[in-house]
Amino acid sequence: MYRYDDIDREMLADRVAEFRDQCGRRLAGEMTEDQFKPLRLMNGLYLQLHAYMLRIAIPYGSLNAAQLRKLAQVSRTYDRGYGHFTTRTNLQLHWIKLKDAPDILDELAGVGLHAIQTSGNCIRNLTADPHAGATADEVDDPRIWAEAIRQWSTFHPEFSFLPRKFKIAVTASPKDRGAIRVYDIGLRLHRDDEGALNFEVLVGGGLGRLPHLGPVIRERLPVRHLLSYLQAILRVYNRHGRRDNIHKARIKILVASLGATEFARQVEEEWSLTDKEAVDLPATELARIRAGFAPAGFETLPPLSATFESARAADPALARFARRNVLPHKHPGYALVNISLKSIGETPGDCSAEQMDVVADLAERYSMNEARVTYEQNLLLPHVKLDDVPAVHAALVDAGLATANIALISDIIACPGLDYCALANARAIPIAQDIARRFADPALAETVGELKIKISGCINACGHHHVGHIGILGVDKKGEEFYQLSLGGSAEDDAALGQVLGPALSADRVAPAIDQLVEVYLRERREGERFIDTFRRAGLAPFKEAVYAQAH
Amino acid sequence: MKALTANRLTDGEVVFWTGADWSERFIQAAVFEESDVAEGAEAHAKSQFTLVVDPYLIEVAPVGGGLAPVSYRERVRAMGPTNKPDHGKQAVGGDDIAVLAGAHGAARSKGRVDLIRRK
Ligand code: SF4
Repeated sequence: MYRYDDIDREMLADRVAEFRDQCGRRLAGEMTEDQFKPLRLMNGLYLQLHAYMLRIAIPYGSLNAAQLRKLAQVSRTYDRGYGHFTTRTNLQLHWIKLKDAPDILDELAGVGLHAIQTSGNCIRNLTADPHAGATADEVDDPRIWAEAIRQWSTFHPEFSFLPRKFKIAVTASPKDRGAIRVYDIGLRLHRDDEGALNFEVLVGGGLGRLPHLGPVIRERLPVRHLLSYLQAILRVYNRHGRRDNIHKARIKILVASLGATEFARQVEEEWSLTDKEAVDLPATELARIRAGFAPAGFETLPPLSATFESARAADPALARFARRNVLPHKHPGYALVNISLKSIGETPGDCSAEQMDVVADLAERYSMNEARVTYEQNLLLPHVKLDDVPAVHAALVDAGLATANIALISDIIACPGLDYCALANARAIPIAQDIARRFADPALAETVGELKIKISGCINACGHHHVGHIGILGVDKKGEEFYQLSLGGSAEDDAALGQVLGPALSADRVAPAIDQLVEVYLRERREGERFIDTFRRAGLAPFKEAVYAQAH
Repeated sequence: MKALTANRLTDGEVVFWTGADWSERFIQAAVFEESDVAEGAEAHAKSQFTLVVDPYLIEVAPVGGGLAPVSYRERVRAMGPTNKPDHGKQAVGGDDIAVLAGAHGAARSKGRVDLIRRK
């Protein structure tokens, strides 16, 4: 994993010292809240319903054991002993005191963590395929490029006050595990016929009030020109983005209003005027970053492990865990082990300090000192020997982290909603808990198969409801919590925005409605169809009828 | 009827104006019958910027056994998150929390949304 060098460390230390001074001045009354608020936001410190919230950046979702232990310790010392992993692969601490914030950032800096790029109208923390470096279908490690963008974009003066926040995701596989079509810029690495590495560049995706899937504006960008091309995109956006209207300020609106072709033309024109040499990453620098992601000594192992095979034959719980949570690795004899943060009845994405410590220990001992955060609010150990999977599973069972439900109906994305978030219209967490409890029986959940439910507490769509197979949006109907369901969304290769099912439902009707939708699916499905496939074939009508029948 | 709420500067804790200072408990909130008195208190609170952040007025109404904020958002603020009963003010318990927990009724409330967005 990439390690911060002296320049990174010095930058972080300076930043913490600066923020300590700013906090001191605010507390002493030398600054008003209006003056201070943008400064605290630039350091990831938000004010929520009950307390301050610190959003800690986890660049491209990669953590080592020391970092994870530090997150555990910080949440224990300064918060309530847990943290909440988000769809942006960040960690949010929901009970932070302003007076502690500089000390927390100081502690985080000690392990190369920070809260930079987690707020404000800048290029935000980068995300990447959580399977990076471990999946057989990638053409390169996308984190190398995400790290290059991170270094280039951090405190970039030209792009610190964009019309609106700006999010970039990078993948390097044909299979999209990074939701790149709903990002401001989605980058997909691929090799051309000559074997050269290129980026496919998508611009103008995004959720929120006006959701869009990002169109491709360039199919083949030679990788060496990544930064100059990004600069050209951002310059066009900076020049023409709608600063006059916060609801129209994201790049998706600009791309949609110009059309992808015209937007691409303007980018190409800007790019043609760019001194590319001056902006693009020098080969030496790329090599330095690449070295930080060099594969760490995989052993030559047989593709099958007798230990693992006999253990799973003897233990049905391990067998289920292996079916749902364990994936093949690019190196024979290794596996990716998903750790679900969706145990039945718990808050999606929440992880206690004790659990973080357990995952840190497992990462250190069994996964080459690496853990990942996924945008689906789960964790992952990327490099586990098959021989070690039974031991990892046993440790996860002890820590309450072995729920075998990855991609199943109880693996629900839910934003913090009205339980924490100052912008929310309705709660998201209790809705997720209700649904998960209905499908607590693992055999039932497996029978239903892949079904992605995504819940947002308001139209900002942090819970990705537009791209859920079933999306649930909390709305305020005359002051009461209501929920609008949509069907047929996807954030993956078959990306699509969901269609609204019908009038919003009261909170107590949501989980029963999910039951009804699942019943229709089980009745209608054909061999091999997932929920979303059946929906695409059969359309909205049978589902709508089931949920709203009684109302007529 | 209205009450005045804010978040405390140092730690973000939800607080209510008692008429003399800020309290963590809703039950100690001063209740304003007259809107000009309420607005006067709000203006005064805005000047206390070393103590509180984003003060604003909320609607309150009688419920069984006492008063409660009319909007759901404000009841969540006055009690704590519903997914963790051991966090927030509800963890301490007490009769006033029981009153809030039993309250129903609804009203649109944007809370601090406009205060957040305006800046
Ligand atoms: S979707 Fe809305 S309620 Fe949920 S976290 Fe985002 S802003 Fe808050």
